[in-house]
Amino acid sequence: MKKTVDVSIPLGPMHPCWKEPVRLKCETAGERVLRAEVELGYMKKGIERIMQGRPWQEVMFLAERVCGICSVVHNMVFIEAMEKISDIAVPPRAAYLRVVANELDRIASHILANFSYCYTIEHETLAMYLLNTRETVLDNLERLTGSRINTAYMIPGGVRFDLLPGDAAAMLADLAKVEEEMRRHTRIFETGPLIALRSKGIGFMSREDAIRAHTVGPTARASGVEDCDLRLRHPTYRELGFTQVTRTEGDNFARVMVRFQEVFQSIDLIRKCIDTLPEGPIRGGGFCKAGETSYAGEAPRGELTYTIRTDDYGRVVDIAIRTPSVMNIEACAHAMIKDAASIADVTSTFISSDPCIACNER
Amino acid sequence: MRSIIYYLREFLRPEWIRKFFFAKTAPLETPSYFKGYPTLTGNECTACLSCMMICPAPKAIAVLRTRDGWEPEIYPGHCIRCGLCVEACPEGVLSSGRILDVTRRDGTAFWSWYHLQVDDNLCMRCGNCCVSCPVNREIDPQLAGSGTSSSDEVIMRVEGGRVRILHEEKCTGCKTCETQCPNRAIRVARMVEGVQIGEAEV
Ligand code: SF4
Ligand code: SF4
Ligand code: SF4
Repeated sequence: MKKTVDVSIPLGPMHPCWKEPVRLKCETAGERVLRAEVELGYMKKGIERIMQGRPWQEVMFLAERVCGICSVVHNMVFIEAMEKISDIAVPPRAAYLRVVANELDRIASHILANFSYCYTIEHETLAMYLLNTRETVLDNLERLTGSRINTAYMIPGGVRFDLLPGDAAAMLADLAKVEEEMRRHTRIFETGPLIALRSKGIGFMSREDAIRAHTVGPTARASGVEDCDLRLRHPTYRELGFTQVTRTEGDNFARVMVRFQEVFQSIDLIRKCIDTLPEGPIRGGGFCKAGETSYAGEAPRGELTYTIRTDDYGRVVDIAIRTPSVMNIEACAHAMIKDAASIADVTSTFISSDPCIACNER
Repeated sequence: MRSIIYYLREFLRPEWIRKFFFAKTAPLETPSYFKGYPTLTGNECTACLSCMMICPAPKAIAVLRTRDGWEPEIYPGHCIRCGLCVEACPEGVLSSGRILDVTRRDGTAFWSWYHLQVDDNLCMRCGNCCVSCPVNREIDPQLAGSGTSSSDEVIMRVEGGRVRILHEEKCTGCKTCETQCPNRAIRVARMVEGVQIGEAEV
């Protein structure tokens, strides 16, 4: 039967549920969505161009301004790429502290994503609970790095500040609180009948579709893609012992649940780091040299790649950033929203893939 | 009318008035882990711009003209609280907030210096860089117009038809040479290294 398009419904660029401007065009037949199209380009920053020709110590601050939600990982991937170019070694204590900062950032990012989702399906109570918990996490990020969002915590060859035993104890106490609260929120989410009605079986993406669309991060893991967590290949994470979370349902519910489960995994990782924090210096020193590399790390949303070329002065000549949301947003439009039963589910499906437009339009 | 009386009665209750005018909120406390921003000490700024040149964060500090002189201004959204400006200022205009306490506690520091490089393919030996350099001129006021100098103490001079760099460590990173060079042949780069004091010194 030939499908006929009744009407094309635009969602966005400004939408109360969306964190940033993006436009979604949905072609519908009655309630049914036949096809969706994503339109980007409302807030292109041109940050890669701004970075070119600047010394690393300036680029590093620009890098973490690509995205305010996962700024720590941008900092980390850029710095580790520079270290790879220049053969700089990181002292073990600094490597562990980096993991702590990165995981705190991941928790904050995942909670924000789940907040967005709950807000979209109009479960505002749970949404506000989640935001409340996120505050504690951000406070701890400040305790470690001195800032809540743009931390600039890592520098080539080490980190900026040390973690004192007193602060570590306070952090562990806060994390226990966060874990308890998150258990409660997860239970609410897992068992809520109305949440299930709006999430289970909606926005389904099969494993094949996920692989074909090159999705990354929790979006791919919720569809059962194995080995897509780049932390599995990071030496420090391997030392700590790391297994990735996967689910097989591939629907909105699974994507949110993967993030909830990863929060607990991150809390465990931070605990392990703090318990086994090696003694020693936090800075190794070293200069940035000329070279070229492509380095990838696992951002909260998936694989994040920096391709950098530097000159003798440690200046960045060329830089290209590949952020995870690019693939996820496309996959979302072409695999999840296509043939959705109701236009009402489009927003929540889109949000469940945790789209980050700031990353996309860097 | 009744409602106005009702409102007046409501808002003239002594308890309400007391709460409205003498509200007691707990004073905001700075958390122990807050690292602070550089603050002004009140010393006079000479506008040497050392602080701006060393600052690694784009647009975090600017030295602005005020009615009676110059004054550095820190933009908190950009400042990353490294404390480099405090260490760089020769006049003690800035004080560190708590930043230097933290770096002292951790035994960490930044080392930075300026790296000069002349591209011999681009350089046409005009000597502009050597003459314009303020440090060079202070060391050797008699510096010849072609950039040659008899002093061995200058940062750079034209020697045997090419620019030779003698004392890179004296460079203050003002980049005058870079802007004066017609061919962009000389480049000044700030090299920064994060080190652990004690380990690095031995
Ligand atoms: S503390 Fe550092 S970042 Fe802030 S103004 Fe001074 S030099 Fe710049
Ligand atoms: S380094 Fe000190 S004297 Fe020089 S411009 Fe900055 S604040 Fe003023
Ligand atoms: S940067 Fe300034 S001090 Fe350094 S060599 Fe050039 S002109 Fe001289």
